Amino acid sequence: MSTTTDVNVPSPTPPGTPRVPLGQRLQGLGGNARQYGIFGALVVIILLFQVLTDGKLLLANNVAALFQQNAYVMILAIGMVMVIVAGHIDLSVGSVVAFVGGVVAVTMRDPIGLPWIAAVLVGLAVGAMVGAWQGFWVAYVGIPAFIVTLAGMLVFRGLALVIVGETLAGLPPAFIRISKGSLPPWLNYVGNMDGVTLVIGALAVAAIVLTQVRARRSLRRHDLHVEALGLFVTKLAAIAVGIGILTVILSFSAGGTPIVLVIVGVLVVAYSFLMGRTVFGRHIYAIGGNRSAAALSGVSTRRVDFWIFVNMGLLAGVAAIVTTARAGAAIAAAGQNFELDAIAACFIGGAAVTGGIGRVSGAIVGALIMGVLNMGLSILSVDPAWQMAIKGFVLLLAVAFDLLNKRRAGTQ
Amino acid sequence: MTEATRTPLLSMRGISKRFGGVEALVGVDLEVHRGEVVALVGDNAAGKSTLAKMVAGVLTPDAGLIEIDGVPVTIPTPAAAHALGVATVFQELALCDNLDVTSNLFLGRELRDGRGARDDERMEQVARQILRDLTSRIPTVRVPLSHLSAGQRQAVAIARTLIGSPRLVVLDEPTASLSVAQTAEVLVHIEGLRDLGLGVVLISHNMTDVRSVADRVEVLRHGRNNGSFDARSTGYEHIIAAITGASRAATPRPVPLRS
Repeated sequence: MSTTTDVNVPSPTPPGTPRVPLGQRLQGLGGNARQYGIFGALVVIILLFQVLTDGKLLLANNVAALFQQNAYVMILAIGMVMVIVAGHIDLSVGSVVAFVGGVVAVTMRDPIGLPWIAAVLVGLAVGAMVGAWQGFWVAYVGIPAFIVTLAGMLVFRGLALVIVGETLAGLPPAFIRISKGSLPPWLNYVGNMDGVTLVIGALAVAAIVLTQVRARRSLRRHDLHVEALGLFVTKLAAIAVGIGILTVILSFSAGGTPIVLVIVGVLVVAYSFLMGRTVFGRHIYAIGGNRSAAALSGVSTRRVDFWIFVNMGLLAGVAAIVTTARAGAAIAAAGQNFELDAIAACFIGGAAVTGGIGRVSGAIVGALIMGVLNMGLSILSVDPAWQMAIKGFVLLLAVAFDLLNKRRAGTQ
Repeated sequence: MTEATRTPLLSMRGISKRFGGVEALVGVDLEVHRGEVVALVGDNAAGKSTLAKMVAGVLTPDAGLIEIDGVPVTIPTPAAAHALGVATVFQELALCDNLDVTSNLFLGRELRDGRGARDDERMEQVARQILRDLTSRIPTVRVPLSHLSAGQRQAVAIARTLIGSPRLVVLDEPTASLSVAQTAEVLVHIEGLRDLGLGVVLISHNMTDVRSVADRVEVLRHGRNNGSFDARSTGYEHIIAAITGASRAATPRPVPLRS
């Protein structure tokens, strides 16, 4: 190609486009600015309610309860953000939660009486099968996901009523511990702090620092652009401080680390990797960005669509187990509006309605913002009716703010 | 450019395709050799894009034979086309605005490291290398496509064709909707592809572009071959005549109405 280098063609670059170094620097920030914005909003809301509730919000047991109460939203939001990024929607997850919860309860109780671990596995498998059913109609028949999952919402609510009747109680205590229990105190207490929690927190910080430093070194080795050292260190320090504060607060709580927090943590790490660092994740973003371009490039759009819904079903199964364990019973009416909670979390967390944009971490932060609002307003004993209205406004404001920011940044 | 080899890189013979009652292509022949730029021209709906989509694996012919390097092939999917060494830039830009330059270059053919994980570092290195080779003015390969100008996006689309060392590149209207300077840049890229020894099929409406880079001009009219011309020696008006059919059909005359 050496022949082309000496041909002098006028630059097609419009005058406003930033030059290389500045452009790269702006880009490094610009790509993550929204992400930082969401984290900032979460911090502001936490501090606001910490003040309004006279410090009750961040009491150890309240923080533990925050995760136990909102685990289902976070689990569903992880699957939902993938669905939304691919340009679909899933309205059925609430009904699927009720249905799978019923299946799990039935398999644990007499006359079937499976051990609770087996019942959990059955629940996950049924969830995945529900997802495969919906994925089949979306991916291979081509019915819009809105319709398929609207139908699923009715179908699985109906099936939940058939299986459960009204309520199936009397579930084994070991199963209920999934949502209500905490990790056992394997280690000694340090003062009043749970040793297990402190060790987990320290390990989490160490793991994050290690992977980030290794990723940075790998970029360096390949002679690729890395973000400024100061920014990098600041970011890591902020993450470490955040996790540190959370760890210390939780270690003072009655039980230490809630088991559901471990489940959510593992899911967040696994799915962040899936979305950010795998070919499958890249293809989800590509399909959401330009479906026909992805297909012309050789991406198997149907296969990706199908597995996105299988995965959503699987995660709805996880959420069903957590929800059923928390209630201590399968309830036919369980999971009402769960789909709306999950969808709201995704959009507050920066996902685009048109698809192609959204992150697992954003959806989790979105879920936390809703959760903190719930808890803060409850502590302030605000009427539940007003709580609902306030959450609606927050959703609208978050998306409007995002949109205005994008316009001002000048990307269409 | 006949000094290349006797076996053409791409040989399509007797290609036909209908869409319902419409005959898009009827017994079309096309040959492309290594190091040759063949322009495929014709009026709207002459069947140019249909032919290109067959080479790209998007459409399959109803009848006819496709050979690549003398081997008869079927190209059922875009992935199959890529495996055969055919790279295509589609008229409707097949790029994802939300992904960065590197991701777009490797979309559908991502590199993996030894353990099967996505190898982002190596992809970014290759992307920078390719864009440097094409002398494109893209500030960084980490910028999402939505931040680039039309010309820069077209450069990315053409750079895409170089991933995976293709033998044949099909460009469907690569300069439509580009400014004069951007068009010049794309034409330089096309010459670069020829210098790399690739076969190039260039579909275009623009006779100036065609005559400046093509070695041979193949005209399609109403889904049929309507002449093959040497791009350097043939006059502009001959090609236009073949495209419009003026060389064959009589000039329409006003028909006097009977009183």
